[in-house]
Amino acid sequence: MKKKMTPYILLVPQLILGVVFIIGLGTGIIQSLGVIPAFGLTEPTLKYYKEVLTRPDLLQSLKYSLYIAFMSAFLATVTGTFLCAVLVSAGKVRGIIMRIVQIPIIVPHVVVALFIVNILSQNGILARILANAGLITDQQQFPMLIYDRYGLGVILAYLWKEIPFIIYFVIALMANINGSLGEAATNLGANKLQAFMNVTLPLCMNTVLSGFLIIFVFALGAYELPFILGATTPKALPVLAYLEYTKPDLRARPYAMAINGILIVISLIAAVLYYILLRRSTKKLAG
Amino acid sequence: MKRKKNIWEGLIIGIFIFLVIVPILTILVWVGTERWAWPSLIPQKFSMRAVNGILRNRQQLVRLCMSSLFISASVAFLSVVIGTMTARALECYDFFGKRLFSFMSMLPFLVPGTVFAMGVQITFIKCGLSGTVQGVIIVHLICSLPYAVTLMQDGTRAMGVKLEEQARVLGAGALQAFFKVTLPNLFPVMLSAFSMAFVVSFSQYFLTLMIGGGNVKTFAIVMVPYLGSGERNFASIYSVIFLVIMLLVFGILEWIVGRFTKAQEVEYY
Amino acid sequence: MKKRIAALLLSTVMAFSLTACGNSAKTEKADNKETKQTTEAVEDMSFDEMVDAAKGTTVTFYGWGGDDNLNDWLDNYYAPRLKEKYDITLERVPMDIDAILSQLSGEISADKKDGDIDMIWINGENFKTCKENNMLYGPFAEELPNFQSYIDTDDEETNADFCFPIEGYEAPYGKAQLVMIADTAVTPDLPTNTDEFMEFCKANKGKVTYPELPDFTGSAFVRNVIYDICGYEQFMDMEADKETVKAAIEPALEYLRELNPYLWNEGKTFPKDSTALTNMYSDGEVVMDISYGAYSTATNIENGTYTETSQSFQFDKGTIGNTNYIAIAANSGNVAGAQVAINEMLDPEVQADRFAEIRTIPVVDYNKLNDTQKEAFDKVEIGKGVIPQDELLSKRLPEMPSALVPIIEEIWAEEVVGK
Repeated sequence: MKKKMTPYILLVPQLILGVVFIIGLGTGIIQSLGVIPAFGLTEPTLKYYKEVLTRPDLLQSLKYSLYIAFMSAFLATVTGTFLCAVLVSAGKVRGIIMRIVQIPIIVPHVVVALFIVNILSQNGILARILANAGLITDQQQFPMLIYDRYGLGVILAYLWKEIPFIIYFVIALMANINGSLGEAATNLGANKLQAFMNVTLPLCMNTVLSGFLIIFVFALGAYELPFILGATTPKALPVLAYLEYTKPDLRARPYAMAINGILIVISLIAAVLYYILLRRSTKKLAG
Repeated sequence: MKRKKNIWEGLIIGIFIFLVIVPILTILVWVGTERWAWPSLIPQKFSMRAVNGILRNRQQLVRLCMSSLFISASVAFLSVVIGTMTARALECYDFFGKRLFSFMSMLPFLVPGTVFAMGVQITFIKCGLSGTVQGVIIVHLICSLPYAVTLMQDGTRAMGVKLEEQARVLGAGALQAFFKVTLPNLFPVMLSAFSMAFVVSFSQYFLTLMIGGGNVKTFAIVMVPYLGSGERNFASIYSVIFLVIMLLVFGILEWIVGRFTKAQEVEYY
Repeated sequence: MKKRIAALLLSTVMAFSLTACGNSAKTEKADNKETKQTTEAVEDMSFDEMVDAAKGTTVTFYGWGGDDNLNDWLDNYYAPRLKEKYDITLERVPMDIDAILSQLSGEISADKKDGDIDMIWINGENFKTCKENNMLYGPFAEELPNFQSYIDTDDEETNADFCFPIEGYEAPYGKAQLVMIADTAVTPDLPTNTDEFMEFCKANKGKVTYPELPDFTGSAFVRNVIYDICGYEQFMDMEADKETVKAAIEPALEYLRELNPYLWNEGKTFPKDSTALTNMYSDGEVVMDISYGAYSTATNIENGTYTETSQSFQFDKGTIGNTNYIAIAANSGNVAGAQVAINEMLDPEVQADRFAEIRTIPVVDYNKLNDTQKEAFDKVEIGKGVIPQDELLSKRLPEMPSALVPIIEEIWAEEVVGK
């Protein structure tokens, strides 16, 4: 009996906090259904969802958001895991190098946007280097890396922040596994690459997948970077929500919450996929 | 073979460091810049206006930093403790509702921060938690906890229960086994969790704004309006201060854990 | 065993802090408000009684916090002055208006009586929303002594905010007017109307643009173009109906579409907000900036953000001007203190000091000032690159009803961007 209770007791704080979170989430969803007593809206209605889903630019925004989130998360995860492996292999897992890895994690997204504009815009440092080298004469000859329809600047900004995040997320685990089991594998005749691909990486896969999910969903729902670095159209979904939220007419709030509701649904689908992948990966390990 | 690998490794790591450091350097340059126009590679107009602005407010800023650090340290500490407990429950036991709890712990990841902030604001106002430090700590905790839980779960799973079980077999009590065997070996991961939770809390803006009202002022609350303003030197200097504070915190933490961790190498898996 | 007890202990501690819900566990404010004034009581107070009631209290002032000059002036002139003169502690809270509205509406719907928000820096559509939803305390402005002494009650902007009647629910704070800025060393000829502006853009292809609507400044610029082409009178009482508005502004839309190919990025994308545009101008990416702060050119030249040869200019038919205001939250816990503080802001001495320090157009009526007060304003050197005040104000156009603004913004997004 006592043993059976232990996990539940351990989970009490999480439960309390989880309940508070669900209250907040629930209120948000209720708001998206049009019930905000403060503004005199008391009738639950699906009309805000209907309005959002029939927006002419919704599909475009949705595709754009998914594309940015996926590209940045995928590239960050692959590159991050690779860099993590390199760092572990080179034995650099502590000290100054970790400070450097942590820097992008610390720097707020808006600041990243600031220096991306500073460096990569048509008027930016890269363009000026080319101009001073005589390769271009006018700003407009430099390619548009930001404010473009493909979200290149947005993705680069996310990569700058998320690659170190993945490294930090995975490195403690990878270093340890590589140290013990990886070494065991090389002692048994595998070369470094084989040891990594067949022993270390699979054991880290769960963590890597978690990292991917976290940054994917974050990039999906965050508005700052697409807002600052994106083009006028298409706009990412959270940007649309943000613009609705800042409208002086407070009756636009349910509209913003409805867009957020859609984002939550997509995130939940992503989470479900994540759990499926996780179970497959765990099964592989156990089997 | 080994030497070749080292050159490539060194190159890759070098490029990585370069790509991280150069943007930070541009921010540093902007601290003292008023105007940096095409096509010049160095600013045309320098000034100490931003630095003076900071110095002028230094008393207020120091107080602000102290209170922000206190809030974030509390959040990080609680995140690690609760994260370890939750991770242990989820990894080491099988019980009814496990999947549900696991999902619940990940839920804050899946929801845009603005939704939670706006949703919980009214509840907290009714509760009297709005505008209080406790309220802010609670909501920060809710957002930081998933990071801590995920990291601690991976660490706990990797560590396994074998060592602890061995200790129990050798006669140690349950608590003894945990505190003397498992915990020290979880320290590195706990450090990661603490750091992550700390950053998440220290960077929170919208949430602190919504729940803290105007009452709870953190460094982020004062910094963010400048980031969107036209004065890039102010934006830069606040960013630099932010960065330096966080790096110091992380450095100190790593040093502390380094001192108190036993030299033993624990094997994961 | 012990582990479980520890876990239980921790959980109960957590539960406890959450059940602190029952009590109001608020952090101590800098000063305590001993006198909880009910709104009824304050309404009946004379101004002197309010001054007494406000002694030793704290008043919060919520508003945008991204202007360091203004923050500095508020913290180091206005706040100390309030403390010295009335023993009122001013707490400036940097917060964007959308967050302020969220908090205020949240507090009101939760029936919070002693709200955190006292003074709010506000205008336009935000004011209309707040007033219509009973989120503001009032009327109060017209009873303030300095209002009666120094404010021009015939001025349209004293009585209506974006054509919406104020009825004493907000007091004037500062005036703004749209100006364009260009560098005469780069572009010596500055346009004075929309036709010349088109030529200007053609001559500087790819180097002119305006902020994407619904940015405040970009929106005002487009409205200004509309005024210049379609005239402004017809909008003053126009119905807020999309079709009506669209028909009325069609010539301006045509113009803006024609303008696109000569704009930055061919009008396919626009800078996010006025900050982005100012940065682009300062960095030399575009040759024109737009600003609502009519004299910000002077401060920018002084700081070095602009070149020495930058110069503001307007259209001959005029540019849009408006006033921004301070309002009081309906559930403010210190209405008396807020009114005393707002009254002080209307003091000519304060307005003159702000005019000298940060060049905000004052709201006091020059003609109502005595000679010493007039001198304080006269001797202010506004600085380089600005339009002289009487010229600026002579070419000042009123704002249209705020309901039309979002409609125009929507039409712009549909009909102009990338077309």
